[in-house]
Amino acid sequence: MSFDEVFDVVVIGAGHAGCEAASAAARLGAQTALVTLNLDLIGQMSCNPAIGGIAKGHLVREIDAMGGIMGRVIDRTGIQFRLLNRSRGPAVQSPRAQADRALYRKEMRRTLEATPNLHLRQGLVVDVIIDNGRIAGVELQDTRRFGAGSVVVATGTFLNGLIHTGLRTHTAGRAGEPASIELAESLKRLGFPVGRLKTGTPPRLDGRTIDWDAFEPQPADERPVPFSFATDSIDQPQITCYIGYTTNDVHAAIRANLHESPLYSGKIKGIGPRYCPSIEDKVVKFADKDRHQLFLEPEGHDTNEVYLNGFSTSLPAELQQELVRMIPGMDETRIIRPGYAIEYDYIDPRELTPHLETARIKGLFNAGQINGTTGYEEAACQGLIAGINAALSVQGREGFRLSREESYIGVLIDDLITQGVDEPYRIFTSRAEYRLALRHDNADARLAPYGKEIGLVGDTDWERFNRKRDRLARLHAALEGIRLKRSDVTYSSLSRTLGCDLGDSVTLAQLAQRPNVSPSLIQQLLPADVRADTSLRDLESALADSLYKGYIEAQRATFDRLHQHDGLIIPKTFDFHSIGGLSHEMVERLERTRPNTFGQARRIPGLTPVAISALLVQLNLQSRAA
Amino acid sequence: MSRADTIVALSTPPGRSGIGVIRLSGTRSLSITRTLVGEDQFTPEANHATLKKLREPESGEVLDRSLVTFFKAPHSFTGEDVIELSCHGSPVLLRHLVDIILGQDARAAEPGEFTLRALANGRLNLSQAEAVRDLINAQTNAAARQAARQLGGELSARLQPIKDALLDIIVPLESSLEFVEDDLPEVAVNTVKVKLVALIKDIEALASTFRSGRLLREGLRVTLAGRPNVGKSSVFNKLLLADRAIVTDIPGTTRDSLSEPISLRGVPVLLTDTAGVRASADRIEALGIERTRQAMADADLIVVVLDGSEALTGEDEEIFSDVAQSLHIVALNKSDLDSFHPNGYERDGAPVIAISAKTGAGLDDLRAAILRPFASPDMHSAGLLITDARHFDLLRRARASLESSAVLLEQRASEELLLVGLYNALRFLGEITGETTPEDVLTQIFATFCIGK
Repeated sequence: MSFDEVFDVVVIGAGHAGCEAASAAARLGAQTALVTLNLDLIGQMSCNPAIGGIAKGHLVREIDAMGGIMGRVIDRTGIQFRLLNRSRGPAVQSPRAQADRALYRKEMRRTLEATPNLHLRQGLVVDVIIDNGRIAGVELQDTRRFGAGSVVVATGTFLNGLIHTGLRTHTAGRAGEPASIELAESLKRLGFPVGRLKTGTPPRLDGRTIDWDAFEPQPADERPVPFSFATDSIDQPQITCYIGYTTNDVHAAIRANLHESPLYSGKIKGIGPRYCPSIEDKVVKFADKDRHQLFLEPEGHDTNEVYLNGFSTSLPAELQQELVRMIPGMDETRIIRPGYAIEYDYIDPRELTPHLETARIKGLFNAGQINGTTGYEEAACQGLIAGINAALSVQGREGFRLSREESYIGVLIDDLITQGVDEPYRIFTSRAEYRLALRHDNADARLAPYGKEIGLVGDTDWERFNRKRDRLARLHAALEGIRLKRSDVTYSSLSRTLGCDLGDSVTLAQLAQRPNVSPSLIQQLLPADVRADTSLRDLESALADSLYKGYIEAQRATFDRLHQHDGLIIPKTFDFHSIGGLSHEMVERLERTRPNTFGQARRIPGLTPVAISALLVQLNLQSRAA
Repeated sequence: MSRADTIVALSTPPGRSGIGVIRLSGTRSLSITRTLVGEDQFTPEANHATLKKLREPESGEVLDRSLVTFFKAPHSFTGEDVIELSCHGSPVLLRHLVDIILGQDARAAEPGEFTLRALANGRLNLSQAEAVRDLINAQTNAAARQAARQLGGELSARLQPIKDALLDIIVPLESSLEFVEDDLPEVAVNTVKVKLVALIKDIEALASTFRSGRLLREGLRVTLAGRPNVGKSSVFNKLLLADRAIVTDIPGTTRDSLSEPISLRGVPVLLTDTAGVRASADRIEALGIERTRQAMADADLIVVVLDGSEALTGEDEEIFSDVAQSLHIVALNKSDLDSFHPNGYERDGAPVIAISAKTGAGLDDLRAAILRPFASPDMHSAGLLITDARHFDLLRRARASLESSAVLLEQRASEELLLVGLYNALRFLGEITGETTPEDVLTQIFATFCIGK
């Protein structure tokens, strides 16, 4: 086969999945090409100019702990950092940052260009080249052919993308960019089961035409929590966002014009995300609410453009303009870019192995929205895993996977490959069985050793991680070891301040569990040397460890008993038809997913408990026979 | 439809009978029946009985005229194609027919396999499948009624509002964690507390029916004990409503323990008559007395039978000391005799019931007294009872989990901690019917709240 250029890994698409994939593969030593339609739009945020949020922030910190790039890029370009759920337990707190959209793109491109072995190429991939059931390369619209041992498809909403504004439609991958039609057809020809999803975006407004005083300010955190474990301080000046509300008049006008909505006229067939409904959806489904919340998010330092969060819509552009003007404080407001809905193809993720490789074509990996997910963070973490495995595969190394027990990334990928999707998939903390153990602040303790072992975490970061680990160990020793007794001077003054008896003696860890005891109070009780070399952030991490310890142990005991067979391997050659008493439907569900372990089989939706027991019995019989 | 093998079994008890029913389940049910009927195209209307001649496949010789009923997948008990052949109840014929079917690529069903398939194919949930077993094994009408209710899905139906109420607590808590940026109503601690307390009460109420439920399902062991010749066997026969034990006026006639099941107001009772306990005995009688002690040790309740026409003897006193640590009542027999004295027989506060095994006087009082220590007000009420120890245990665990959450709520702990106990409770409740419902929560969140920043 003749190729214009030959790489180890080719990544199609330079969105959040593609960037992460290309960066990981290149840094693992694979000659990597990142092919994109437009080099000026690398790392583009197609929708909301923000990274993180509940559970999503956890993903970004996990990506960072593994040696990914998203966390570092947002730390350098974020213009409003906020730690969400501050009033709640540390396990469900999550960082979120709004980005300067243009800066983010620029910083992402700079990061990629500074990466050895990484080659940016502009072009439209129209076909994947297969040789003997294995990927061999890709073909571009301009007839160039790139050879590759692994290919990562990270095409986002571009596969057969169709934009709706009112009842008008046009093919596009994103506003102003062409869709990827031929590649979609090429993948379909290979037999991949393809479905259709939908998502949407709100209008962007001219900030000079907004009466900002009519809105409630939402300032950034005073003490920003960065995403990257390598970031010491956030240097971007921080901005304020604003909160406003729709009114009944807006709702009435939407209701009166539903016939112009592609959603409600039946034009859109793809399924949209329930947790990110359009304003049309909100008005129809929650008819009794007399207002819906809106966030006004400036898109950057050097632009007037404002993102109208909460007002995603596919109504006709003229109508969008009228509706916006009905919002109090927006009488004069002008729309710069109208909102729209987009339908696109996704490939059933049950086609994938835990390495995100397709079972159908060796060396072909899918990552991001093509797998039915939504969100930059969800895309990026898949890109990371696909990029790592794309490189490991050409290097003949064993594939890498994360488990549900140790990471949100593991939860997300396991959900995708065992359950498939029937709407755009978003991560939630409630999806993780071990939510209490998977904190954003301990992502490094959970995952940095893997990153080091694979080769993504460099020496500087590894040393930093080790220093932190040592500091936390010293802290834990102090928290468990230091015991205040009734005879101590500090004891009586503390007891007086807190207004309660503390028992005969109390450790600092126990003391910290009491309501009204703040981490800074504990900090003052630490010995001077420990206090000197640990930060408040370290202390908060250590206290979170002790807060959840008992719960996590109890939970592990329960789950170990309930799921003791989860690790049982299902051999690749296992014949699901050999299980007695299983209906055709049950066998079909198992065959479609082809679980690797009993635990994965157990999570396949629609499998009845007895079908699962029957599988277990059969697996045990066969392993005993072997 | 099943890809798995087709199973066959004789579904009526072995032995001669009016009819015998052979049941097949699986993809080959119909084709095997065609071979038996001798018609390649035979396609009976689903859910209708068709009268057909069954023939020897080789010779075409007619073996029986049978009612053939076809239940088409998935609308059958097992969810697979099911055929029922109602034949004449000759054991020889039925065995021969089953042999023919086994020769046609079917295999003999394992015990409970039809129900197992129904479960595997989602036709029944776990508690319903358990009800099938309980219904078949029911020893009394009341127990059968309870099993039938459970089979009808009443337990699932009773649990559903509990699970809904639990979700009703979980959903706002979970939403408040996941959707902090959405404009959701505040979760008021007091509201959660009120709901939680009501939920704990409801689960407790359901769990408390297990006392009666277990009684109905598992029944009681009641042993009659006493010195020789006080009339134990006569009382035994009277309670049985049959002359089962040999009765003479020779002391020590009963040499061995004898057990028979009876129904006392719907409660299955295994009633045991025993050899009279006395010191001077031959070797055989001594063995019988040993068995008596065993039956007394196994009993849930001992009925000490005394002769009310005579004063208490040393042997009577010895029996009283034997049963002192066990639950017991006294049946004071021979109230028909003139020499009967109803007083002076109380020991350890055990109730004394005057009866006559001869005339039947006082026997209803005796029946009531046997049940009294076990009775609870709901036993004969119209309500659903928890009859299975597994269900009871899961309800208990669900309650304990909710209580731990209630404590945390009291301490104003953060939502993710409260939710641990709530999810555990949900899982325990789900285990009763054999389903797990992690997606329930998200579905509810989207249904009840307008989410979407």
